[in-house]
Amino acid sequence: MSDTLVEVSDLVAHYGDTLVLDRVSCEVRRGEIFLIIGGSGCGKTTLLKHMTGLLSPTSGAIRFSGRDITQMDEDQLAEMQREIGIAFQSSGLINSLTVGDNVALPLREYGQASERLIDAMVRLKLSLVGMASAQHLMPSELSGGMRKRAGLARAIALDPPIVFFDEPSAGLDPIMASGLDDLILDLRKLLGITFVIVTHELDSIRKVADRILMLDRGNVIFIGTLSEAETSSVERTRQFFERRADEFITQRNV
Amino acid sequence: MTEHRLECPPSLDQETGRALLDQAHRLHPAKGDVLLLDFSNTGSMDSRGGAWMVAIAQELAHRHAELRWEGHQGEVANFIDLIEPGLETAETKHHREEGILEEIGGRAYKYAGEFWEFFNLVIDAIYWTIVGPLEGRGFRWGLWIDEVYEMGVRAVRINFLMNFLLGLIIAMLSAAQIAKFGLGIYVADAIIIGFTRELAAIMTAIVVSARTGAAITAELATMKVQEEIDALRGMGLNVAQFLIAPKILALLIVMPCLVALGMIAGILGGAVWGILAIGIRPENWFHETLLAASQGDIIQGMLKALCFAIMIVLVGCHNGLRVTGGSRGVGLMTTRAVVMDIFFIIVIDIIFATVVYYILDSSMTF
Ligand SMILES: Nc1ncnc2c1ncn2[C@@H]1O[C@H](COP(=O)(O)OP(=O)(O)OP(=O)(O)O)[C@@H](O)[C@H]1O
Ligand SMILES: [Mg+2]
Repeated sequence: MSDTLVEVSDLVAHYGDTLVLDRVSCEVRRGEIFLIIGGSGCGKTTLLKHMTGLLSPTSGAIRFSGRDITQMDEDQLAEMQREIGIAFQSSGLINSLTVGDNVALPLREYGQASERLIDAMVRLKLSLVGMASAQHLMPSELSGGMRKRAGLARAIALDPPIVFFDEPSAGLDPIMASGLDDLILDLRKLLGITFVIVTHELDSIRKVADRILMLDRGNVIFIGTLSEAETSSVERTRQFFERRADEFITQRNV
Repeated sequence: MTEHRLECPPSLDQETGRALLDQAHRLHPAKGDVLLLDFSNTGSMDSRGGAWMVAIAQELAHRHAELRWEGHQGEVANFIDLIEPGLETAETKHHREEGILEEIGGRAYKYAGEFWEFFNLVIDAIYWTIVGPLEGRGFRWGLWIDEVYEMGVRAVRINFLMNFLLGLIIAMLSAAQIAKFGLGIYVADAIIIGFTRELAAIMTAIVVSARTGAAITAELATMKVQEEIDALRGMGLNVAQFLIAPKILALLIVMPCLVALGMIAGILGGAVWGILAIGIRPENWFHETLLAASQGDIIQGMLKALCFAIMIVLVGCHNGLRVTGGSRGVGLMTTRAVVMDIFFIIVIDIIFATVVYYILDSSMTF
């Protein structure tokens, strides 16, 4: 088995006429925690959605275990997507189903398990994220942070080899956020899950990152390990890690 | 190029700022001109005054002239520093005048794109409603039952009421015309023919598009906006299979039932007026009604019902999935879906009328 799980090469993406990603290339290795960082609106979510096949690029290739997902037909893509877990920025929980049913959804569709086992697995996954008591609540009854965690529980429902996670700690209190970081590290250790995580939080970057990709207005400006990032000579990367503000926020209006 | 000079007031606020803009306006700066604001007498300014200054910068940028300022000090200088990016980026949008051909082309392109999307949706929906389940690829019967209840059972009362009242109104209208000649009994014919061929199907379709069509669009649009659709696709689930197919099959079952109910309700409504107001004896009225009833008319109404059902679900889903931009988009798309529903109800009706009365001839024999 090769070391590279996901490989993005020369990805160009537009929304309408606006260029959002400009020739982005990177690779995610098996078993690592790969972080995508960068300022608000720089295209992190867009990159994540391309990596998971939810958007199709203008040009470029995205290879998942060696197969190019931009060339796949709908059925192949759906099959590939069953092997990954995605937790969305706004959680993506189905509002018409209870939290428990949300987590059970992929299990029921593909898990080939009995209803009793599914129920037990739902409980297990929810308790992993500290949400066991919320199984029978509706998503609208949860706080933002609880939804995030429920979304993660659903993403790991099928024990996928790789989980994509959009801004896990946004909207969580520091204790919960740090707990989530521990959880991510534990999941990697116990289940060998590879993580691709979009985040802003410096603390959690320092805690979990193996390698980091930094985007700025759709361009890759840095890619490397955490220690390389901290000592990087790229001005914006240094600025990010030192938490220095732009002279004028508004000047960077795009 | 010329340089204009304006002296700023001691305090730049809402009122004085507006006056300053008026002055700048009266100078009629031309392309390449420079307008210099002199702040040497200005001791204070607030954010409304600052906003007027941005407005001046916009005005100048629009005329391709330049804004400069001098003599600012202390508090005012700090404030100007703060708003400077706003002054520099004042003119960012260039409104290029589009030629008429360009506009027509752009619109045609947009509608072609939308039509292509709709076409794909139709293919997907047909596949997952008919072929998919037959191939054993799964159909969500649980959701189907919920939808039948929501679309059908809960619409029974309102649909009955609407058709009943419409029957009453049609009876009133036609009675006013023909009862004068002592032919009141023939109102019964008008009612049953009208309701079986046209009115029940149309009235029901309007009720259903306002209830169900709007609900479908709002539901899908909200799901799209909240990344629920992405989440489904991200789990490898097909949206057409998961959400659309159960709705289509549900409405295909529900709609004929509602239309049948509508026919009965309309006929009852007409009968109430015929018997109570025109004064026809009940047995005569119902005898006449049964005489005028025709299987062909009923089948025509039912066929329309099926077409309306498919159309309402597809239009609802199409608009829901096209939503962009937050809660406002959801509202816009819902409105659009209902308007499109009403429009296509008429279009389908016209097609039926043409086919039945002109191509198959009016003596349709089933
Ligand atoms: N559906 C869309 N249609 C048009 N433009 C979009 C759409 N989604 C995002 N954009 C634009 O694309 C750019 C990148 O968006 P993206 O959501 O990837 O940013 P992000 O890096 O995830 O930001 P954040 O950290 O705030 O979540 C933004 O400038 C945004 O305005
Ligand atoms: Mg984002």
